[in-house]
Amino acid sequence: MSTNVSQYAGEDYFRFWPRHNAALFRRLETKHSWLEPAGGDGVATDVLENEMVLNIGPQHPATHGVLRCAVKLDGEIIEKCVLDIGYLHRGIEKLAESKSYQEFMPYTDRMDYLAPYSTNVAWCLAVEKLAGIEVPDRAQWVRMMMVELARISAHLLWMGVGLMDAGAVSVFLWAFQSREDIYKIFDHVAGARFTVSHSRIGGLASDVSPEALALIADFADRFPAVIDGWEKLLNRNRIWIDRNAGIGVMSADDVMGLGMTGPNLRGSGVEYDIRRFEPYLKYDEVDFVIPIRTEGDCLARYFVRLREMKESVKIIRQCLEKLPAGPIRSDNAKHAYASKDEVYYSMEGMIHDFMYTSEGVTPPRGAEVYHAIEAPKGELGFFLQSDGTGNPWRCHMNSPSYSNLQGLETMLEGAAMGDMVVLIGTVDPVMGEADK
Amino acid sequence: MSSLSFDFSPVDGPNEQVGDNPHAQESTNCADAVAALKERFAEDVHDVVLYANEHTVRVSRERLLEVAGFLKNDLGFAYLVDLGATDRFTEDDRFEVFYNLVSIKSQKRLRLKVWVDEENAVVDSVSGLFRSANWYEREAWDMMGIRFEGHEDLRRMFMPEDFEYHPQRKEFPLLGIPGSLPLPSRTPGGELTMDPYASASGDKPIKSYEEESSEEE
Repeated sequence: MSTNVSQYAGEDYFRFWPRHNAALFRRLETKHSWLEPAGGDGVATDVLENEMVLNIGPQHPATHGVLRCAVKLDGEIIEKCVLDIGYLHRGIEKLAESKSYQEFMPYTDRMDYLAPYSTNVAWCLAVEKLAGIEVPDRAQWVRMMMVELARISAHLLWMGVGLMDAGAVSVFLWAFQSREDIYKIFDHVAGARFTVSHSRIGGLASDVSPEALALIADFADRFPAVIDGWEKLLNRNRIWIDRNAGIGVMSADDVMGLGMTGPNLRGSGVEYDIRRFEPYLKYDEVDFVIPIRTEGDCLARYFVRLREMKESVKIIRQCLEKLPAGPIRSDNAKHAYASKDEVYYSMEGMIHDFMYTSEGVTPPRGAEVYHAIEAPKGELGFFLQSDGTGNPWRCHMNSPSYSNLQGLETMLEGAAMGDMVVLIGTVDPVMGEADK
Repeated sequence: MSSLSFDFSPVDGPNEQVGDNPHAQESTNCADAVAALKERFAEDVHDVVLYANEHTVRVSRERLLEVAGFLKNDLGFAYLVDLGATDRFTEDDRFEVFYNLVSIKSQKRLRLKVWVDEENAVVDSVSGLFRSANWYEREAWDMMGIRFEGHEDLRRMFMPEDFEYHPQRKEFPLLGIPGSLPLPSRTPGGELTMDPYASASGDKPIKSYEEESSEEE
């Protein structure tokens, strides 16, 4: 934490990953600063040496994972910021190339681990689009319901952690009460609380039981009151408003230019939500509002997310109403796993099961598609290229956290050091997803 | 690089059309934009492919910036959602860079592509047009080893600068290359350790915590 920056320029300064660290701090030094010096015009040198280079992370509780920020401070103001990510890089895209389409499914749970169901569904839809697989109606409605539950649970964690960042620890625990309800629902539906892997290519792994539906209905009845409670607590809370209002303001041009997605985009007044832009599943058959704010500050993003949770409950209610009876997986053995009844009691079923496990879906050679869904954090898309075999030739993931972190770098510049944690929280990054 | 062989590489472009794709979207069919591009950049528009109602346009690498500028300023594709690179593993034009552009106003999504050769894997950077291209191009450089000319800060995105390979190329082994990346020391001020594969093959033996602390004393 010395003020003398030039000493970082040498590679021999660092013991570990010398070239990487030298390049990082050299970038910090040479990056163009958009801010005027704190002393104002004409004040060239500052006697008190209030410039400081600070390295925050990758191991820092407030960075929501292994996010590393190198910042140059001018007094308390962040003058320049360089983010360094990749500490959780597992090469998921490379791994996908050696897995069959179905085998890759559990990996998607580990990307956005706060809303695993969303990533499952995003992957399934992309593969289904690539191979032209039709999905039964019931499966689509159930998926939609579960994805909205995942959105609520992700937003709940964002709120709990965001408030903890701002100093209110108890809300974190309250948020987890509702998250626990959602875990319970996932447990009933998928058999796992967290990494669900419930969606399958061509449908779902298992049907939802009446008990699970009752749990969901119960949750949808109780949850609006919980949100109302939070609104009572936060909307007029002096500390919360002061920490958020006017902080991290991004204009519509900024967020669009920087490629940010999700609530960060809509908090700045850009009307872009994949659920409306390219309605997947059955989103064109349900009635819901996409909340938009134009202020572009942290408070606007808070309101957008809070309102989104309410809208999710609305969607879940409609799903419960409209949920049709019928099969939950495609009947075509080339498209989806045969049902276990078939597998255990018929020879063909067993052959199909075996073939599907060893070979799986084989989309046409040379086909390529991009399919995106509106995950809790924004546009989550998979770009897939097929070579006609059972493994993707190329799988590229467009993850919302990655896109949003790029905007965070700009957002942090000019902010006060004390707001840094709040700003990281408001962008809501998940490093499992950003680092791919 | 050339010693590795693969059973298959997709030499052909996407050429099969599934009839009615149940997941096809109206927004990805950009017939108007494609027509405008063809009119403006006649012979520089090489392929136009429609698969699952998604338009993909491949243009000359030399005129990429012009095309991207035209799409952004005249046709309203101002939002760069995604950018990435693909290893086609062919003799000529080995790599492919794709751009996923969205026009929020006209509700359209278009995929633009350029092919680039392995020998001279350089593409003009679009980060001057779209600020979001900054990190995406860094990722493509890191993973695929394609340089972007005019990018102000082409550092690696995920891997550290000390790593010398581009892991998403097809010839890069899935297990990684033993000894290519040092890991932190196990004791404060101790020696850097190597990854398990490298140490298993005797590249650099890992000392246990006790051994090293007793040495120091």
